[in-house]
Amino acid sequence: MQALLDNLAPLLQGLLTTLWMAALSAVGALVLGVVVTAMRVSPIPVLRGVAFAYVQLFLNVPLLALLVLFVFALPDAGLLMPLPATAVVVLVIYEAAYVAEAVRSGVNTVALGQAEAARALGLTFRQTLGSVILPQALRAVVQPVGNVLIALVMNTSLFAAVGIVELAAAANKTNLVHAQPIPIFVGAGLTYMALALLIGLGAGWLERRVAIVR
Amino acid sequence: MNRRMMFAVSGVLAMALAGCGSGGESAVPPAGGATSSPDLLKDAPVAEAAAILPGSTMERIKKRGKLIVAEALDAPLLSQQNPTNPDEVTGFDADLAKLLAVYILGKPEVEIVPPATETREALLANGTVDVVFNTYTITPERAEQVDFAGPYFSSGLAVAVKAGNSDIKGIDDLAGKTVIVGANTPAVTEVPKRQPTANVISFGTDPQAVTALLQGRGDAYVQDLTLLASDAKANSQLTVVGNPFTTEPYGIGLKHGDADFKKFVNDWLKKIQDDGKWALAWKNSLGTVVDSDPPAPPAIGSVPGS
Amino acid sequence: MTVLYDAPGPRTRRRIMIWSVVSGLVLAGVLGLGVWQFVAHGQLAAARWAPFTQWPIWEYLLVGLLGTLEAAAYVAVLSAVAGVFLALGRLSRVRPVRWLATGYIEIARTLPVLLMIYVTLFALPGVGVNLPLLWKLVLPLTVANAAAFAEIFRAGILSLPSGQSEAALSLGLTGAQTMRFVVLPQAVRHVTPSLVSQLVSLVKDTSLGYVVAFTELLYRAQVLSAYNHLLVQTFLVVTFIYLVCNGSLSVMAHRLRRREKQGG
Repeated sequence: MQALLDNLAPLLQGLLTTLWMAALSAVGALVLGVVVTAMRVSPIPVLRGVAFAYVQLFLNVPLLALLVLFVFALPDAGLLMPLPATAVVVLVIYEAAYVAEAVRSGVNTVALGQAEAARALGLTFRQTLGSVILPQALRAVVQPVGNVLIALVMNTSLFAAVGIVELAAAANKTNLVHAQPIPIFVGAGLTYMALALLIGLGAGWLERRVAIVR
Repeated sequence: MNRRMMFAVSGVLAMALAGCGSGGESAVPPAGGATSSPDLLKDAPVAEAAAILPGSTMERIKKRGKLIVAEALDAPLLSQQNPTNPDEVTGFDADLAKLLAVYILGKPEVEIVPPATETREALLANGTVDVVFNTYTITPERAEQVDFAGPYFSSGLAVAVKAGNSDIKGIDDLAGKTVIVGANTPAVTEVPKRQPTANVISFGTDPQAVTALLQGRGDAYVQDLTLLASDAKANSQLTVVGNPFTTEPYGIGLKHGDADFKKFVNDWLKKIQDDGKWALAWKNSLGTVVDSDPPAPPAIGSVPGS
Repeated sequence: MTVLYDAPGPRTRRRIMIWSVVSGLVLAGVLGLGVWQFVAHGQLAAARWAPFTQWPIWEYLLVGLLGTLEAAAYVAVLSAVAGVFLALGRLSRVRPVRWLATGYIEIARTLPVLLMIYVTLFALPGVGVNLPLLWKLVLPLTVANAAAFAEIFRAGILSLPSGQSEAALSLGLTGAQTMRFVVLPQAVRHVTPSLVSQLVSLVKDTSLGYVVAFTELLYRAQVLSAYNHLLVQTFLVVTFIYLVCNGSLSVMAHRLRRREKQGG
């Protein structure tokens, strides 16, 4: 317990890093995910194919393997970015695939009649998607997307493996000196839990607010 | 669509494999590097029946028929699993564990449990493993949680740089530089102690840290001398500079408060140091990358905490 | 979803063609540049890939894959079943049941899986519960994934138009029968993409097995890259294995869904 209290400063610093990286990645993943879903249902076959391949690739590979490849293989492919930027980019690309899948589920649940009515009214593809389909789809998938964001926050703990000092890495570092894994890691675990709880409650509140009463 | 995509992926990979570029890079480094010679285990000391006190940990191990050891599987020269023969784990730590097993059981029956660095103390405390052979540095803080037999080896942290870098000659030149360290190693705390202005980045595994250094993510890599020597041998682009600037005494982790077992293990350690098995184990592993005679083993109990 | 746009006329077809070509060229250009740089750094040198033409290396990795799949199978079945019951519990009209289910889901969803593995590894043996190695990994993963599955099922059930259950009830089916024969089958069909996602994510979660020293693929990749000093190549190979393995899962799920749709 003492070890935890004595080292509050580096742990809080790690928490701060976790928070801003998670926030940045979340925004990026949401935007990219919706864009990919739009590509997936678009009339241009190449875009459809690219979106499909993208989602399949990043859905099926573990994040740790991707992190290692991006951080260590990309420089040899000509792109050397600072570590935090690389990590955020990897997480955005990875979680966007999940967001895209969730939103696509949502698009499927929107009643067919909606799209047909929109077309009958003469709306273009962009207008149909933007004003009719996506708003309803997004409202239907608040909980699954909330799940994805929780997973995103948990996944920031993997950044420790590639050199970024976020909460899990800070906890590890503290434990290295004090050899008190239980209070330190339980403390870190409870912090993650609190973050996830916040996101879960937020998603629940949002879901109730935007729920479509049928 | 799925099948087509999978063909596309295989096609790209086949193309990549076929497009062998010369690039002029160094040849593939030799894998492994340590062998467990059969001489090591032949005539290894075995404890007399009187040494196995009734009701002690040694007796429990002997009854069980195997020694459960927490050691790594991915530490070249120390304890590395051979993927082409997964039953074979070679290296300094691995060989010492086998010798201890022979001492207790008469044969090298070892079951390996690879620990994550944060779980070593707990694995000992709840009895999941009997001993820890994992380049486990003896510190007073750790000695409050576990007991240490030994020290059985004394190493130190050293500095490695990309070949051709003549600016950095040792730890003293690292002020204000970007220094790569391995996560969960003593370097994490030692480098800031010696060079508070250095920017420290840690990576999870040794191969990652080496790749990061060679790709220019850092100016130097601080790691245990033995690992650096092994890396330098495998990769001509890496050179070790200067001498070790700390001493890291490795101890054998034991359950806290088990005085009988600690005495037993220390007796064994003395025996294999005296009859040359320790030196032979060193020669077969760490000695393959260092051009010198086996060093003198550290005195047992010479470090606070042991 | 061709319902979203009209069948393309000649001008649209031309525009689609132009966009296809442009995006295709951009993509090819970026990939080509990357591969060329890769070659320049010698990462595609034959010597670096030679170890992966040997069977023992593949055998080593594939045994790891088997471990991964075995653990994943147990977790998938157990947590899916638990998830259905939890979802139903959360939607129940009996308040204590609802509270219990909601409480479990909210807590299990927000606990880091690593922490739960630590509990199984350290806290449980302290109270005398020492599970075999496989279950040390499967139990915490099941606890975590059951909550995730429950949320997915719940989203599916709620997305169904209420007319379905109303019609079933007015036909004389009980609540349980409505759920079993009308609501759940359709709900599951609606959220199959999310379910497959969760299944794949579950397979990847097994890589946390390294904490309990369970033989699975990613840890074996790490050991291998320490042995042969070929970080990039080893991880590319392992990425490929995961892609094939999980990709096949997705393909199978898609086929099942298509067959169900056609069968009606």
